[in-house]
Amino acid sequence: MNASAHSISHGHDDRDAHGHDDHGAGHGHIVLQYQPGLPLSKGKLIMWLFLSTEIMFFAALLGSYVVLRFGAAVWPKPHHVHLSEPIGAFNTFVLICSSVTIVLALEAAKANKVAMAKNWMLATLLLGTLFLGIKGYEYSAKFSHGIYPAQPHSRIYEKPDLYYGAAVRARLGEPAMIEQLKALDDTPEDKLSTDEASARRRLQKIRQMVVSPDQQPFDLAVVADQIMPLPSEGSGGHGGHAHGLNDTFPWLRLPAVIPGGNMWASTYFLLTGFHAIHVAVGLLVFAILLTYRLDRKRAGMIENAGLYWHFVDLVWIFLFPLLYLF
Amino acid sequence: MSTVTQPHAPPKETAHHDHVATRGSTSLSTFLSTYVFSKDHKVIGLQFLFSTLVWFLIGGLLALAVRWQVAWPWSDVPVLGKLFAQHGGQMAPEFYTMLFTMHASVMIFLVIIPILAGAFGNFLIPLMIGADDMAFPTLNMLSYWFMWPAFFFFGASFFVEGGAAAGGWTSYPPLSTSTVSAPGSGMGQTLWLLGLTMVGVSSMLGSVNYMTTIILMRAPGMTMFRLPMTIWAMFITAILQAFALPVLTAAGFMQLTDRLIGTGFFSPEGNIINNAMSGAGGGQPLLWQHLFWFYSHPAVYIMILPAMGMVSDILTTFARKPLFGYRPMVYSIAGIAGLGFIVWGHHMFISGMNPALGVTFMVATMMIALPSAVKTFNWLGTIWGGRIHYTTAMLFAISFVSMFIIGGLSGIFMAATPVDIFIHDTYFIVAHFHYVLFAGTAMGVWSGIYFWFPKMFGRTMNEFWGKVHFFLTFIFLNGTFFTMHILGAVGFPRRLADAYHYETFHHLQPLNAFMTWCAMGMVATQIIFAINFFWSMFRGPIAGRNPWNANTLEWTAPSPPGHGNFDFQPVVYRGPYEYSVPGCEKDHLMQTDPPHPAEAAAAAAAHA
Amino acid sequence: MDHDNRDRNAGSGGSPPGKIPGDTWADGLPKGRRWSGIAWSLLFLLVPVLGSAVFIVAPYYDHWLPKDVSVHGKSIDGLFYFILVLTGVVFLATELILFWFMWKYDAAASSKPATYIHGSHTLEVVWTIIPAATMLFLAIYQMNTWADVKMRRPRMAPSVEVVARQFEWRLRYPGRDETLGTEDDLFVVNDLHVPIDEDFLVQLKSMDVLHSFFLPNLRVKQDAVPGMKQPVWFKATETGTYDIVCAEVCGWGHYKMKGRVTVESRADFDRWLARIEAEQKATQRGPEEIPVAAAD
Ligand code: HEA
Ligand code: HEA
Ligand code: CUA
Ligand SMILES: [Cu+2]
Repeated sequence: MNASAHSISHGHDDRDAHGHDDHGAGHGHIVLQYQPGLPLSKGKLIMWLFLSTEIMFFAALLGSYVVLRFGAAVWPKPHHVHLSEPIGAFNTFVLICSSVTIVLALEAAKANKVAMAKNWMLATLLLGTLFLGIKGYEYSAKFSHGIYPAQPHSRIYEKPDLYYGAAVRARLGEPAMIEQLKALDDTPEDKLSTDEASARRRLQKIRQMVVSPDQQPFDLAVVADQIMPLPSEGSGGHGGHAHGLNDTFPWLRLPAVIPGGNMWASTYFLLTGFHAIHVAVGLLVFAILLTYRLDRKRAGMIENAGLYWHFVDLVWIFLFPLLYLF
Repeated sequence: MSTVTQPHAPPKETAHHDHVATRGSTSLSTFLSTYVFSKDHKVIGLQFLFSTLVWFLIGGLLALAVRWQVAWPWSDVPVLGKLFAQHGGQMAPEFYTMLFTMHASVMIFLVIIPILAGAFGNFLIPLMIGADDMAFPTLNMLSYWFMWPAFFFFGASFFVEGGAAAGGWTSYPPLSTSTVSAPGSGMGQTLWLLGLTMVGVSSMLGSVNYMTTIILMRAPGMTMFRLPMTIWAMFITAILQAFALPVLTAAGFMQLTDRLIGTGFFSPEGNIINNAMSGAGGGQPLLWQHLFWFYSHPAVYIMILPAMGMVSDILTTFARKPLFGYRPMVYSIAGIAGLGFIVWGHHMFISGMNPALGVTFMVATMMIALPSAVKTFNWLGTIWGGRIHYTTAMLFAISFVSMFIIGGLSGIFMAATPVDIFIHDTYFIVAHFHYVLFAGTAMGVWSGIYFWFPKMFGRTMNEFWGKVHFFLTFIFLNGTFFTMHILGAVGFPRRLADAYHYETFHHLQPLNAFMTWCAMGMVATQIIFAINFFWSMFRGPIAGRNPWNANTLEWTAPSPPGHGNFDFQPVVYRGPYEYSVPGCEKDHLMQTDPPHPAEAAAAAAAHA
Repeated sequence: MDHDNRDRNAGSGGSPPGKIPGDTWADGLPKGRRWSGIAWSLLFLLVPVLGSAVFIVAPYYDHWLPKDVSVHGKSIDGLFYFILVLTGVVFLATELILFWFMWKYDAAASSKPATYIHGSHTLEVVWTIIPAATMLFLAIYQMNTWADVKMRRPRMAPSVEVVARQFEWRLRYPGRDETLGTEDDLFVVNDLHVPIDEDFLVQLKSMDVLHSFFLPNLRVKQDAVPGMKQPVWFKATETGTYDIVCAEVCGWGHYKMKGRVTVESRADFDRWLARIEAEQKATQRGPEEIPVAAAD
């Protein structure tokens, strides 16, 4: 029991960091001594504790993903939803690099090499930004295919059923669309590439099919396949990107059929969205840190920021295979 | 103890001087920084206390409105009716669903959780471990200020189009995610979710701060196993919060996106609600229930463990006896918390979850009765052979034990899966959780208020009126809630605006009327409490540092403690429960009292 | 140093202002009267006394389990009573002990100092093991009933499909071919008929939100989850008409989502089915008018 007295820390250094100064000078209460139960600074301990709450947060999201995915009747292959493994893998690489640079920044700060610490920190910031940039590019690719988290914007249908047919018809019937189609029809053949010319013929066929009131489900499947073909295993060029009418004429934005696509989009944007928010918060922290002199005194702060950043990295290490590979 | 030098700062006596010196100051900014945006844990604790008491009152009034409808369905509601109801003073059925939803949400998220962790946790943790404040005072202040958006969202939800959330406090989808499924499933539900998120942020900020403080800022000599039970309970509660709450926050976000942008996590394919095809699909309604209860079952222990801790401290003080089985008490708290994570499925026995899973959840649930049993028996052991002083705080503490037994035992009925088939979603459940929550936790809270009031305000509450308050509350609460077991045995379903048109239940109206009378009595009784509270704050007898002759560190500080809490360096020499040590001239040895010769002898005798 | 300690620890040096000196015990706490200790312990004695009285009296006033008319209801009720007795014993024991300690160890009752004891290892073990054994026994003891009611599904085609919907129960009998989803299905709303003494298998669905299919008299309750099919089975043992209650909040009309279940002889049941069939043919009521849950 007496042994405990030996490990008493002097509460001194902790004090000024957390602004007790607001109490007014006149009080001058005594400085208390403590007996810490762990050899950690307050900042580091609370960071670990905070990260454990974050682990539970992402555990809940990942758990929901697993439950939803394996409870779903169908789940799209990554290529059906235009996910590109190379891009994802590259982004993973970027994030891992940024985890390395933050460690280097910490080492530099510990060695009191201020300029070097700043550079590594800047590198981390840039890598993180690059990650977000690539993520943004991927998002916009999804959006351009009508894959949205939001139901009102989403152009994803589960099956080529009557609802789907109605949606295609509605899209084709929009006044602006009618005009553009007319313009397309009126374009002389030689102004079009061969690709476009064949696509125009297919589009015209589809328009006929869709307007006829008694289309069969079979026909709609054909329509869906023309608008956005689902690549079969192994096929489908760049990023699983098979060419459909929507790709040839991006302004068409016709509804597409991706079985399980809506729930896929919901979970994809949920998981990557929350991850991206965490990345953004990390970048904010780095930006703030960059305004300081990153010397030995700041090593604790850099270390905490780094802990957080490693965690964000780790989450992505789970997300990448779950979303891109399986 | 050689490395510790006792600073010789003479204790400045006179509570007045120690109390915030700016009391008479007219400067607005000092007022703001002292009372409003204070970073002092005591002020924050009291801010939590006052806010939650106000919401307690609101929650109680909502409960009265609920009771009114249950007892006399469709009859004009006295005061509230004019405010809200559409048809004359009569309550609309959708309004009833909003009432019990908001009653429960207010009570749980704005009263019980913040009063335990926020008010008592804040006020007591640094004082009882010998720290001058929390580890992160600014974070602590933020955790209080994050409650205000929650107050606002919950409060505002009554006044928006369609009214407040109406899906029950459990907010099961698709009722809660589909905006067309119910009137209160519109804006009100969205606000409810936002409020919930804010409470979550507040609790998260609080809990990591508490853990850090308890781990790093204990006074010299205050080993973990010399911590008072209150602190142990707060510590483990903080762990529970930190690990369970993020799950609810995540689920809340998912429900929010389901509602706002149609992600459909919780909506099955091809749902037709109100004759309209619901939007996206492919989700699972049961997923929400799993996520919700993964949080909310641990949460019920978040809502009782701190009260258990406080009751343990109060029982020992007024029985003048060491706590019976200190370590088993600590381990049982940890056991409750640990097991609490694996029993959530007992809320879902008949939800459509795989019945085989139900069996495993049942076994785990049965096992959670063990640590609770250990606690109960140790409380009884604590007062056995004591010298009991019947102060108001003690009476509330004893009633906590007595009532918790009832609430806990009714839990056994529900843990038994086959029996739960019949009593699930009946008033048997309502009886169960009001016994643990109101008759348990709220009694524990009152016990804590009467006990620590002197430390908070430097004055004691009036004992006579305190006892009147206790007596009436005790009688009325049993009148209200015990009879609910009987309703439950008949199968009387909960959440029904009017059940009397069912043949099975039509004869239960007189009993319900009786319960409502008791509930009204119970709420009316609180006027006594409120007057006593405020009167004593300004007029009560000055308390001195240690009015109850208790042992723990907070009683060595001035009442109320000034900034920095202690006017000397507390050094701890023993556990918190050394009462009636044989051969000692006083009947209590405070944790800071220097070692006493009688102590060693007594310890040797006890272990012989 | 000594002076400081006394000052800090002993309640601001003696009795706090506002308390009459001398009106305290040696321990410095206000002196209670013996009668108040007696009164308070008697108040707590009321808990077990009135508590059990309520449970004893209630059945005589019909405030008790509603009449049970199903086979598995017997074992559920049996378990209920078993737990009632078990917890009743624990309840009485603990509450009476509490009362007795309050009565006996009132500070005003004796001048003996409190027993200085920190606990008992033996006792801790005993009162952990005994409840553990009890609870484990209880858990195992009830598994069979649970399996009967929710796991050992009778091997038969569904006798009826129940589709819950805001705020009614839509029933679909399979008709003569005994298969659901065919032309001759019979449609009824809120009026379930069940033949006595036969296994009866309900296929439960929901069209919109959660509901719960609660038959108090048959001790049946099962949530209806949209997107899922729940099997529910029972065997009724007594003819009569009983309530169907919705037991999961499903919106403003939750309270009135009421149906009736009629238990009748096989002959009556067949007659009723025939009548429904005739009515349905006469009015040409068909499946188009009664949407069923899309998820199959
Ligand atoms: C503070 C809150 C709190 C606490 C402590 C508890 C404690 C327990 N609860 Fe409770 N519970 C709630 C709050 C709480 N509950 C709420 C709010 C709900 C409803 C939510 C909703 O649907 O809205 C609920 C619902 C609920 C259900 C779901 C019922 C249903 O919806 O059908 C179940 C089922 O198992 C259950 C079980 C238990 C058990 C076994 C305990 C155990 O921890 C109790 C253990 C204690 C004892 C057993 C007593 C003391 C022990 C002895 C004296 C020893 C000897 C005893 C024996 C040998 C039996 N609770
Ligand atoms: C902590 C939680 C808590 C508390 C304290 C209470 C308290 C009360 N509850 Fe509540 N209740 C719930 C949690 C709680 N309840 C929950 C979770 C539900 C389930 C909801 C659902 O189904 O979704 C529920 C549902 C519920 C129902 C069922 C409704 C239904 O299913 O149809 C009923 C019916 O009687 C009821 C009644 C009461 C009553 C009469 C009180 C009384 O005890 C209230 C007494 C109130 C007071 C005594 C106020 C005291 C005021 C002060 C002390 C302030 C003093 C002020 C100052 C000093 C400033 N409650
Ligand atoms: Cu249907 Cu409640
Ligand atoms: Cu629970």
